[in-house]
Amino acid sequence: MKRTYAYFPGCSAKGTCRELDLSTHAVAALFGIDLVELENPGCTGAREFRAISEQLHLTANGRILALAERQGCDLVAVCDTCLLNLMETNQRLKADAVARDAVNRALAQEGLTFEGKIEVKHFLWVLTEDIGEQQLRERIVRPLRGLRVAPFYGCHIQRPAAAYAAGPAGDTPALDRLCRLLGAEVVQYEGSNKCCGFHVVGVEEKIALRMSGSHLTNAKSNGAQCIVTPCPLCHTVFDAYQPSIERELKSNYEVPVLHVSQLVGLALGLSPENLALSRHVVACEGILAHIGDSRAPQTAAPMA
Amino acid sequence: MSPFSKQTTEPDKVRVRLYRFDPAVDRTPRYEAYEVPHTPRMRIMDVLNYVHENMAVDFGYRWLCSAKKCGTCAVNVNGSPKLACWEEAELEMTIEPLSGMQVIRDLVTSRDAFEALLATLSPTLVRKAEYRGFPEPLTAIQLAPTAHLRDCIQCLACQSVCPVLKQPDSGFAGPALLVALSELAQDPRDGGDRARLAGEVAQVFKCVSCYECERVCPVDIPIVGEAIEPLKRLVYQAGVVPGARHARAFLDVVKARGYLNAAVLALKTKGLTLNALRLALRLVPRGKIDLGKAFLKRGAPGAKVISKTYESSEEVK
Repeated sequence: MKRTYAYFPGCSAKGTCRELDLSTHAVAALFGIDLVELENPGCTGAREFRAISEQLHLTANGRILALAERQGCDLVAVCDTCLLNLMETNQRLKADAVARDAVNRALAQEGLTFEGKIEVKHFLWVLTEDIGEQQLRERIVRPLRGLRVAPFYGCHIQRPAAAYAAGPAGDTPALDRLCRLLGAEVVQYEGSNKCCGFHVVGVEEKIALRMSGSHLTNAKSNGAQCIVTPCPLCHTVFDAYQPSIERELKSNYEVPVLHVSQLVGLALGLSPENLALSRHVVACEGILAHIGDSRAPQTAAPMA
Repeated sequence: MSPFSKQTTEPDKVRVRLYRFDPAVDRTPRYEAYEVPHTPRMRIMDVLNYVHENMAVDFGYRWLCSAKKCGTCAVNVNGSPKLACWEEAELEMTIEPLSGMQVIRDLVTSRDAFEALLATLSPTLVRKAEYRGFPEPLTAIQLAPTAHLRDCIQCLACQSVCPVLKQPDSGFAGPALLVALSELAQDPRDGGDRARLAGEVAQVFKCVSCYECERVCPVDIPIVGEAIEPLKRLVYQAGVVPGARHARAFLDVVKARGYLNAAVLALKTKGLTLNALRLALRLVPRGKIDLGKAFLKRGAPGAKVISKTYESSEEVK
C-alpha cells in the first residue's frame, strides 16, 4: 500500500542536518512512503515566535497545517520542536473557534484555510505506528546486534503532557522499542528524557554545553557506543557542538550521534553514503566497523 | 496523581529508606530503612508520620496543611518530587529532600534563597491607580490569563527539577519565581516595571523550554505557556536583553528568506566571535554550513508572501 504524507522538513533538515532529510527520504523509499514536501512553508518559529506573539505563532503554524490540508494528507515532521509547535497549534485551532477565525483571516490573503482535517506525526511514529513492527522486522537485513545505543528523546516529543495526552507520543519508549527491534541494545542512563539545552545555545552557550555534557557523560559511562535522537536540534548540540562540550567540560567523548532514520537505515541495509553519515562532526566509523559493511548484508550477524 | 489506589490486593507493609542528615552534626548524609504497616489509601505523609511517631522521634520533615495548599511538604520520592500530603505511598520508597536545595535537617530544606530572590521582584501589586475599595473593577476576562498561575502553592518542586537552575551561577530565577512574577505582570492593575524585572533580574530568556517544571507541578500549572512565554513577550517588546534580540533576529531572517538559516541567525545574534569561528571551521567542511546559501543566495520565492501573512497576523487580533 502506498502511503503519502505532507512533509515539513524544517530548517535543520534543510540546513545544518541535511543528512536527516536525505536519510528520511531513503528510509521512506524502502517502504513506498511518499513524502511530499510543502512548498514555501515558512517556519514553525521554534521557541522564538512564541516569545514574540501568540498570534504570530498560531498563524505561522496554522499556515503550514493549511498547506498540508490542501495536499489532503497527514503532516510529517522530523524535528521535535517543529512537531510540538504544529501539534499544539493543530489541537488549539481545532478546539478554539476564536483563535481559528483569527488565523484564517490572516491566511485568507493567500487563499488558505485551516479546517482541522489532518493529524501531525513525527517520522518516528510513521515507522513504529503506521508501518508497524511487523513490516519493519521483515525488512531488516542486518540486525544491529550488540550495538549499544543510548536513545535521547528530546523534550518536545514527550512534553508537555497536555499535547501528548492522546496518541503514540505519550508512550516515550517508542524509540527504545524501535532500537530493540533493530537488534540494538538499549543503554539505560540518566538524562535520556532530559533537555539538551539547544534553545539557549544561541544566547547562553555555556548552559547548553554543560547540560548536554552531563548527558554525554552518563551515556558514555553506561557503555553507549552511540546516541540516537529523533530531533535534529538535540543532534546539533550533541554532534556539532561536541568538541565545544569537550572543551567546556575538559573531557573526551567521541560519541557518534545518529538520527533515527540513519539507525533504521543501517539495519535495513542502506549504505553510509545513502544515509550521509559523513556529514557528522563526530565520525561514525566505529559504529560501521561494529555492525559490518552495509554493502555486504549479513544473513546471520554474529552475536556480540 | 490519581487519588484512587491502583493496588488490587492490600499489601501489609511499606518499605521506606529515609534520607537523614543534620549538617550541624553529620559529615555526610545517610539513609535509614524502616518498615511501616500499610493502611488503605496510605499517603506518603502517613508513612512519614508513622516513622516520626513510632520509630524516629528526631526525624525532621515539614508539613502544615495536609491539604495541598501550603506547599511545604514536597519531597523527592524515588527521585521525583511529590507532595507528601497528596500522593499515594509506594510500597518501596526512597525519600529525600528536594534536590538542589540547602538541607536544614533530614527532609527539611531552606526556602531562604527562593524568598530572597522573590523579594527582589517586587512581589506584590504595584498599583497604577489608587485603590478605591472593594470590589476591584475587574472582569473575568481580565483575570483569565492568570487563573492557573494563582493556583501556585510555591512547593518548589519545579525549582528542584529545573536543569538551568542546576548550572552554577546561571542567574536564572527559575519557574516558581517566574509564575509569581507573571501573575503580577499580567494583572491589569499592575504598573510595576515587570519587563525589566523579567528580563534582567529573573533572566527569563534563560528558560530552555524543556517543560520539566510542568511535568512535576502538583497543581498542573502550564508554566511555560502561561507564565514564562507571556513574560518573554513582555521583555521582547522592551527588546533589551540578548534573548529578545535573538528572537527579533530569528523573525527577521525568516521574513527575509522564507526560512531560517542558522548561520545567518548566529551571526546576527552573536556577531563573529572566536567560538563562532571555531564552530564554522568545524561545520563548513562537513557541509553543515553552506556559505553560498547563507550569504549569497536570496530568499525563497515565497518569502514575500510568508512575510506578509506573518505581518497581517498582528492586525487580525
